[in-house]
Amino acid sequence: MVRLYFRFLGLHLRALLEYQSDFWVMAAATVLIQVVNLVFLSAVFARIPTLRGWSFWAVVAMFALMAIAEGVGSFFFEGTWRLSESINQGSLDYALVRPYPVVLQVTSAEIGINGLTNIITGGAMLATALAHLDVRWSVGLVLLAVVLPVCAVMIKVSVNLATNSISFWLAGPSPLFAMAVHQVGELARYPLSIFPTALKATLGLVVPFAFITTFPLGFLLGTGSSPWLGLLTPLVAAYCVALALVAFSRGLRRYESAGN
Amino acid sequence: MRGYRALARISAKNALTYRLEFAFALFGVLFQFVALLAVWRVLLADSTTGTGFTWPQMRGYLLVAFASGAVVGLFADFRMSFRIRSGLVALDLIKPVRYQEARFAEVLGGVWIEVLVVLLVGGVTVLVAGAPTWPGGAELALFTASMVLLIPLKFLVVYLCGLASFWTQNYVGVQWARIAIVNLFSGALVPLAYLPGWLASVAAWSPFAGMTSTPGLILIGRATGAQAAFLVAVQLGWVVVLWFGAKLLWRTAVRQLTVNGG
Repeated sequence: MVRLYFRFLGLHLRALLEYQSDFWVMAAATVLIQVVNLVFLSAVFARIPTLRGWSFWAVVAMFALMAIAEGVGSFFFEGTWRLSESINQGSLDYALVRPYPVVLQVTSAEIGINGLTNIITGGAMLATALAHLDVRWSVGLVLLAVVLPVCAVMIKVSVNLATNSISFWLAGPSPLFAMAVHQVGELARYPLSIFPTALKATLGLVVPFAFITTFPLGFLLGTGSSPWLGLLTPLVAAYCVALALVAFSRGLRRYESAGN
Repeated sequence: MRGYRALARISAKNALTYRLEFAFALFGVLFQFVALLAVWRVLLADSTTGTGFTWPQMRGYLLVAFASGAVVGLFADFRMSFRIRSGLVALDLIKPVRYQEARFAEVLGGVWIEVLVVLLVGGVTVLVAGAPTWPGGAELALFTASMVLLIPLKFLVVYLCGLASFWTQNYVGVQWARIAIVNLFSGALVPLAYLPGWLASVAAWSPFAGMTSTPGLILIGRATGAQAAFLVAVQLGWVVVLWFGAKLLWRTAVRQLTVNGG
């Protein structure tokens, strides 16, 4: 089942690489965005040592985690963003008659090449940041440094799927609601403690993007008011994945094609 | 002239019909505004150096950055890029209006809605965080002039990027690159004074400075008198240069066009 998934993605990748200049435009744009982020952060931190206890490299690591999470979402699950269109057009019919899980057909229906460059630049930023940060590494901590980011990525991907599944109810041709939630990620790249209470609650509970950046990193670095919250990341990830799958299958039961 | 007025009217009606799309398109800029407000509030509270911005100044400045991000929204350039890539631009070419002027008319048609959104967000910010500093007399006039110039300036930057669609199928990449560059060089993310010296002077002389830095600094009183007038003159200069530069580029660009079928 997994092998087939990657074959779908491979097909889209081959199609995409036919347009080489487009690939380079996209790659250059995503790298440029991260460079601008780094210039912005270094300009800010030139004046001030820490942002509510978070150092320059800690915030770079947060930006990196968000880039990786969004990158995995684009590279492996870009089709999620096409769901509303295929509901609206009725082209989800094709997926229903094929002997392969519908949700996997949907998420593999497209590949976002920007995801690849985001994963690479995000990975490089995260590695550099962790090398500069004072982490007392132990076997357990190394293990968690692998598990927590993986869970963080799962949270982003399943929030994408859950919010896009709303399209089964809204039925518009473009995933406006999901886009709006995606934009909330803009806030989650900063330490949660700088925001007013209402936003903290939103990012911690309603759209748990704080579990992509602030909480897992807070645990690894021992920063923030309650670092132990980072240990909840796997639970939150499991909850989000379950919620997304339930939302999708509930929605799929409502699907009644578009007629002719 | 009547043709342009009709285009402006249609574009406003478009924005009002698809108001959800229109509102959601502004979400990215809005969240960036909220994030930057939160970051700078903490930074300026913890900062000990007296040379930087004060918190009320920064609020006013970031509001200008938000306004700059909100006007001439995503609607205009996605539509233009789509029509070029799909070949629908052929229909624009046979209309008895000039292409660049027609696109500008469409932008002007929708701009008042965006201005209303900016005023709303500005009003909420003032209610929540208190009134920003406000310049008097000559500076107020210069600020207004700078904000008015912001509209053709941003239109031209967006339009020039839109012309890239004649060469690449991938407009999203071009748009992302544009937003990143404008964010940095206009001072929308961080005031130019905070950037390293060489980068700050490159940015200050670039056309992008007029898209946040110039009106922002005049609003909060960090550019006054002759200096403010000079900054607005530079902004005006760039509008003129880019307007005619875009016309030149259009002549080359339109030769790239191949429309298949009919």
